[in-house]
Amino acid sequence: MNPSPFQVTSRLVKDVAVVYPQGYLNNLAGEGLVSECSRYARTGIKKVVVNFGKTDLINSIGISLLLHVMEELQAVEGTLCFTDMSKVQVDIFEMLGLSKFFLFFPDEDRALQFLNVRER
Amino acid sequence: MPLHGIPAKEYLNREDELAYLRRLADPGADALALNVLLVGARGAGKTELLKQLYQRLFWEGQQVVPFYYSFKTAALKSTTFARDYFSRFIRQYLAFLRKEPLLIDASGTPLHRLMPLISSLGLNWMAEGIDNFQENAGQGDIYGQVFSAISAPAGAAQRGGRPILVMLDDFTTAEELHEARRGDASGLTSLFEESMKSSLCPHIITGSPASRLEAIFSDPSLYKGTERLRLPPLPEDIAHDLFVSLLGKEIACDRGAALGLMRRLRGNPLYIRNIARSLRKTGKKALTERDLSECYGAEVSEGDTAFYWSSVFNDCIREKGLKRPVLRLLMHRLSRGECDGTERLSQVLGMREGDMGKALDVLDAFDPGQDGDPVFADYLRSRYLREVEERSARDIQACLREEYGAAPDPSVFEMVIPMGDQAELVAARAVDQIGKNIRLEPDFLNYIQMALVECCINATEHSGSYEKKIYLKFITSPQRLEIVIESSGRPFSPDLLQEVPVEQKLAAGRKRGWGFTLMRKIMDEVRVERIHDRTRVTLIKNINRSEVRK
Repeated sequence: MNPSPFQVTSRLVKDVAVVYPQGYLNNLAGEGLVSECSRYARTGIKKVVVNFGKTDLINSIGISLLLHVMEELQAVEGTLCFTDMSKVQVDIFEMLGLSKFFLFFPDEDRALQFLNVRER
Repeated sequence: MPLHGIPAKEYLNREDELAYLRRLADPGADALALNVLLVGARGAGKTELLKQLYQRLFWEGQQVVPFYYSFKTAALKSTTFARDYFSRFIRQYLAFLRKEPLLIDASGTPLHRLMPLISSLGLNWMAEGIDNFQENAGQGDIYGQVFSAISAPAGAAQRGGRPILVMLDDFTTAEELHEARRGDASGLTSLFEESMKSSLCPHIITGSPASRLEAIFSDPSLYKGTERLRLPPLPEDIAHDLFVSLLGKEIACDRGAALGLMRRLRGNPLYIRNIARSLRKTGKKALTERDLSECYGAEVSEGDTAFYWSSVFNDCIREKGLKRPVLRLLMHRLSRGECDGTERLSQVLGMREGDMGKALDVLDAFDPGQDGDPVFADYLRSRYLREVEERSARDIQACLREEYGAAPDPSVFEMVIPMGDQAELVAARAVDQIGKNIRLEPDFLNYIQMALVECCINATEHSGSYEKKIYLKFITSPQRLEIVIESSGRPFSPDLLQEVPVEQKLAAGRKRGWGFTLMRKIMDEVRVERIHDRTRVTLIKNINRSEVRK
């Protein structure tokens, strides 16, 4: 685990926003992630997939910000999916008793499939 | 004898625990629990903590009456226990009111002789209580007698208007309370339930081993409203301070050698006191590494520490014929570091399976509760060499000295990081490299990094330190990784340590406060202490074979 500076990118796949946080997900970075998700929510996008494939480390502040994203989406009856998490990241959610509040998928395709979206 | 503790100035680094326990019965304080289960390794100082608390309440307090009772093997017949418990309570109560310590120890004085004193103090309710107790005793009502003894403090708190802090030591022995012979009346400890419900009469309960104590408290009647307080070993520097103060000003000791010894003794105050006493007896004025290793060998094979462990061993394994098999089994486990099945053990140790099964049962019940304690391991080694291999005292000493010298010095790395944005990642990188040096598995290291990052974030967020620095120390040995994180600033708030249910956190506006939960889940031990003007958090992870790369 050698965290790099955080950045967040995203793309829209039909009615699903796929967000790619990269690097170390802490307070500053987490705010960027929250605002990216909120930006989509404001435009009526209710389905969000967060792909953690390039996220090195999520600290507890990052986790609390992910909970805010979840809350925001729940308020509009939206869905939040997590994909491509490392074993350690999944375990951390498990240890904190939070795994029951999120949907986890091994990869982005399976999350999109769950959300009834085909890319092509 | 509760007033016979060590002098307060020699009692180091337990102020936080004392303050916490003192709050339990203080009517003006907001106590965090009704009762406390005080757990810790043998020799960690649980009894001494109770004695220090007793002394302070006795001499400094006016309102809260301290009552200390230690369960003794000689007073386990229920009627004997009831008389002993009741009369000690009466005497300690009167001693407190009169500030007369001699009354505590006057165990030979019959209760009726205390009546004039009770009457002069206007304690009519106490006189009535004594009459009731004696009436129960006269009628042969065993249950009534035990119950009225146990509930005497709660009753006194109610009727006397003063809260009573009950301290029960060696509570694991209470499991053996019986009517006529051992085992004929199990569960008498549950009679404490009523008394423990009284907010005017909090109980602090301790005993060894911790696993047995906690097993007693798995009984729902006892665990409700009971908080668990762990008494950790002394940190290395405090252990060293204690050792030096016990040696006295006239004896000099090489600091490096002394720190090596403190690591061997794992910050256990009992061991430290015993060895300091032995070293003083040698009459030497300048102690070398060799003096320490020789004294250590003598201490664990025939000194006070050996005597202590012999009494625990003999008390737990009463059947004479089983002592040697159990010793062989313990040594086998110690050298292999793992448990085999009965069949395999029988083959390896050349014992019949039936005998082996019996020895294993005894061993499970023995539970010395000192996993990974090198002193206990050395005591076992010396006893094994003497009783099983019939080696001479000289041989045993030589083996122990060799063992002492062979223990690898742990690697120690120290660093200081600023409390700045993402500085915690520098610490995470450091632990990554330290872990790689000792060939730890990458996944295993990732968890440790997470715990460390959380700890650094906590220090940055909560200390409010002007210095804005975090001091880190990484101590590694083949068996464990220890990370010490220190920061100056505000004392640590115990609220941060309180476990809040997930649902409650989610309902809160600010969904924070996961750091300590995460640290606790990842590490084997998380200790928080206040050392001088710094808060020290110690993260400990034991290393199993599976976590080391082949």
